[in-house]
Order: sequence, then structure tokens, then C-alpha cells
Amino acid sequence: MTDARYARYARNQVAITEEEQLLLGRKRVVIVGCGGLGGYALENLTRVGVGFIRVVDGDTFEESNLNRQLLCSTLNLDKPKVLAAQQRARAVNPLVVVEPVQQYLDEHNAFKLLQDCDLAIDALDSIPARFLLQRGAAEANIPLVHGAVAGWRGQVCLIRPGENLLDLLYPSQGAPRGEEQEEGCLAFTAALVGALQAAEAVRALLGRPGLSRELLVADLLTGEFTWIGLGG
Amino acid sequence: MITVNTREQAYQAGMTVRDLLDRNQFTFRHIIVRVNGEYVPEEQYDKAPVQDGDDVLVLHLMAGG
Repeated sequence: MTDARYARYARNQVAITEEEQLLLGRKRVVIVGCGGLGGYALENLTRVGVGFIRVVDGDTFEESNLNRQLLCSTLNLDKPKVLAAQQRARAVNPLVVVEPVQQYLDEHNAFKLLQDCDLAIDALDSIPARFLLQRGAAEANIPLVHGAVAGWRGQVCLIRPGENLLDLLYPSQGAPRGEEQEEGCLAFTAALVGALQAAEAVRALLGRPGLSRELLVADLLTGEFTWIGLGG
Repeated sequence: MITVNTREQAYQAGMTVRDLLDRNQFTFRHIIVRVNGEYVPEEQYDKAPVQDGDDVLVLHLMAGG
């Protein structure tokens, strides 16, 4: 590693070895959704040193995002989320190449946005879009790190190509939204789940053991963390 | 024995999904129930049987981001 890289990543060691750091620098991740989960996942993956991150979101910030979305501030309301993501990542770690795509994921662009990446992060807030992403990740033959939140609770799982674990988590692909409709979304829940997704992503990118057909459910109201087997 | 979210529990003859939810105090508003992987709609909770050896998943339906 160069001196600049060595200094920047010095405190990643020895939790991440120098060899692993170099490997991370060659990895490409796509984060779909730049709201609560996506902002915190991006922050963590940028600081840890993933080489390339594509951020995908067609939305702009609004006041209701301020309670939890790391990238949202009073200075960028009505501005595209992906541009805030790019600016934040550049400011934190210019060694990371961030490509903003101001589009919503759909059946036409999914494969194109995923096919040149090593891993995808599900930071969406819509069930139909999550299924589109699962299908796209399977077609691109890359793992998908799912995350979702509702109020004090959040969940994370790693979906390897073809596992289709979202089929177990949701009753149907056209299901309405979940408990977040009544419970809302809290900043610390989004921060926790976004960080858990980033950690899961790094484990997968480095070939370290990770969640295997199991769902990690965190309840910040009771302080319980539960690992639930998803069969197979 | 039955398995509920990966943990073993005692089986009770004649129990339904509703009995299982009540026993475990699963009272949250939006849940996904699967018995041996098969989705059980809410309107069937009172009648849907849970058999000895069944593997039951009870998950929160959450999709916020």
C-alpha cells in the first residue's frame, strides 16, 4: 500500500489484514436506495475502503427524511439523494470511486446496474422493488445483503444467488408496506441495520463466513438480537 | 415437538396457528406466518393446524429503509 493508503486504513488493521484491504479496494458494490439504510451503509463501506460504489436512487430529499437519513440535511432538501451520497463519500474518502445513478430500479435497468458489481445492498423501502432487486442480483450472480427497518426493529440477511430468501420474508411480491407504516423509522435503527449490512457485505466480499440462510432480527426496544433460520 | 423461529417448543395436540401465536404472545400487527415454508394468511390462523414436528416461522413484516 502507498503511504497515503496506509495512513488512511491504519486503524482498519489488524481486524482487516493488509491483503484484505487491498482486496476490498478492488471490489465493486451497488447500493440500491440512498435513504436511511443506504446512507449508513455507504458511510461504512466508504470508510472501510471498498474501491467502487454505485449508488442508485431516483428520489430527492424532503423534510420527513431529516429524522434518520444520514445524507439528508437542511442544506440539501429537494436535491437528489445520489448526489449527496457522492459528495459525502468524496469528502470522507476520495480513494473510493462513487458513481451516482439518479434512477429508480426497474425491470429494464436492474441487470445493467448490477452485472458489473461483486455485491448488492438492498436499502430500499418498497417490497416490489426489493423483489426486482433480488431477481436482478440472481441474474447477475452476485450476493445481495437485505436490510429493512420498522420503528425499533430491523432485520438483515445475506441472500446468495438463487436462495430467494425474500420469498420467505414477505407474503407476496406485491405486498403493501409493513410495520413501518404505523411504527415509522428511527435514526438509530437505520444506523444499526445499515452498519450490519455493511459488515455483512465486507464479510462476503472478503470470503469470510457470514449469515447463512438466517435472518438477524434486532429489537432495540427490548435489546434482543435473534438469529432465525430460514431453512435449506 | 415443534420448531418456532429455530427454537424447539412443546407440541400440543390440536393446536392451531392462533394457539401458537397466543402462547408466544406474538401480538404485533403485521406478521408473516409460515408453516413448513408455506405462507398462512391471517384469515386462516384460527383453523390452520400446527402438527407435531412442524417448522414454524413468525416474522415481522418490515420493509422500511
